[in-house]
Amino acid sequence: MRQTTKRSLKLTYDLFSRVKTGDFEYIYRGAFTQNLTRKILSLAESNLQRFVDKSSLQNRIYFIMVEGLQNVTRHQEPTNDSKSEHAGIFAIQKVENRYIITTGNTIVNTKVDSLKQRLEKVNNLDREELKKLHREILSTGELSDKGGAGLGLIEMARRSGNRLTFDFEYIDLYWSYFYLQTEIPSRTYARDAAEELEESNAMRDIKHLNHILDKKDILLNFNGSFNQNNILSLLSIIKGQMRVNKSAKKVYYIMVEMLQNISKHGNFHEENTDGNPGIFYLGQTEDEYVLTSGNYIPNEYVADVKERLDIINDMDSNELNEYFNKILLDQNVIDPKKTGLGFVDMRLKSSRKIAYDFKEIDDKYSFFTLQTSVQIN
Amino acid sequence: MEALIIKATEDTPEIIFDPENEVFEISNVSLPENAIEFYAPVLDWLKKYMKNPLPKTVFNFNIEYLNTASSKQIFELIFLIDKINEHSDVLIRWHYDAIDEDMKSLGVRFTHLVKVKFELVEYEKDEEEEEDDFEF
Repeated sequence: MRQTTKRSLKLTYDLFSRVKTGDFEYIYRGAFTQNLTRKILSLAESNLQRFVDKSSLQNRIYFIMVEGLQNVTRHQEPTNDSKSEHAGIFAIQKVENRYIITTGNTIVNTKVDSLKQRLEKVNNLDREELKKLHREILSTGELSDKGGAGLGLIEMARRSGNRLTFDFEYIDLYWSYFYLQTEIPSRTYARDAAEELEESNAMRDIKHLNHILDKKDILLNFNGSFNQNNILSLLSIIKGQMRVNKSAKKVYYIMVEMLQNISKHGNFHEENTDGNPGIFYLGQTEDEYVLTSGNYIPNEYVADVKERLDIINDMDSNELNEYFNKILLDQNVIDPKKTGLGFVDMRLKSSRKIAYDFKEIDDKYSFFTLQTSVQIN
Repeated sequence: MEALIIKATEDTPEIIFDPENEVFEISNVSLPENAIEFYAPVLDWLKKYMKNPLPKTVFNFNIEYLNTASSKQIFELIFLIDKINEHSDVLIRWHYDAIDEDMKSLGVRFTHLVKVKFELVEYEKDEEEEEDDFEF
């Protein structure tokens, strides 16, 4: 039986602590399809509804997400290899009162210059000029070969009221990687130096993160508060995105347990109004899917949970099955959540041991990381 | 006895226990946060049905996904059904997707824990139903 190394679990808290309580960060990496786009939007939408009061702002954010996702879907170049550095990315981050939406996709080097020019052109226009250009393109009906005419970029700039931040990263002789970032709500039109700096920080931050996620083969990362609504959206993304096979079913089942663990138990300093803070990410290596979750746990529970995990990890499959049956048959157990049934179930479904880590945060709470994997067949 | 009809939601199953039409079925997904609360009225209904069951009852369990909290509650249902079986003729048909070995093994697990007749029914999902997606 494979043991996941402890070291890789340290990453979880590093990723988690990037995001302040009350904020969120949601990242998807991989191939983009129409159907996936719909599901990503529904997850983002359910998060936005909880945070953004003004529906006009919600609509603008939503619009920019749709436009960004369509750009990635439409422009992702059909590379023949499946190198993960070519994977598309979509990220939405809430940082205090700002929403940062980033998309990334590969682009052939020969197209970089013309795209750069278009972006710079859009960035140099003011509100009125953007409006005018938009009208002009619509009336002349000039379309690019991808049906875009740069209208998308103009609209994104108009709706965000901000410059589009962008970056091209050289991959090899043929490919570059194109990042596009939009921020909402708008800043004052004449931006000061601090705002400029923040902008370039946000871009550097997401590029850095994308490289880490790439190195760890992470496809999906959700960092924020977990409640049943978010959980159902995350599950529907996974369900829609994975080819239906034995491993996908197992990933789904284990995800349910991990995510509901966070929403049920992961409260932190009674701030549990709208879900519990936590992180979940799904990675894929050559031969397995790796599932990782992290959340807070009161210090007084750590010893118990640790002991339960050790006992369950030491069981062989017969013992696991017997334990499962015992819980089912025990009429005194009304609510199985404190029995470790979820852990037993994870072990049976993954046929792996559960890797875990506890990191003390303050005198009341620790950060609890849980990781298991499912073989790809 | 009045039928019990609960419509499916995104995370709870559809339940139709209808003695008049002889339909007893649980379908869709069962992922509620609070499984005890969700299944309480279902268990209550079965306890009443137990007093005066039809001569023959066939229960169809056709669940696509369930969380462990639900599996405990589903077993509570099966435990009651097992009691109904002491006074009348009962069959449980446990449906599972051919690729879902865990749903199959849960069915098998239940057969070892109760006496009621179990039929494991494997089905294959129509590929056409799947949406236009591909792997990561």
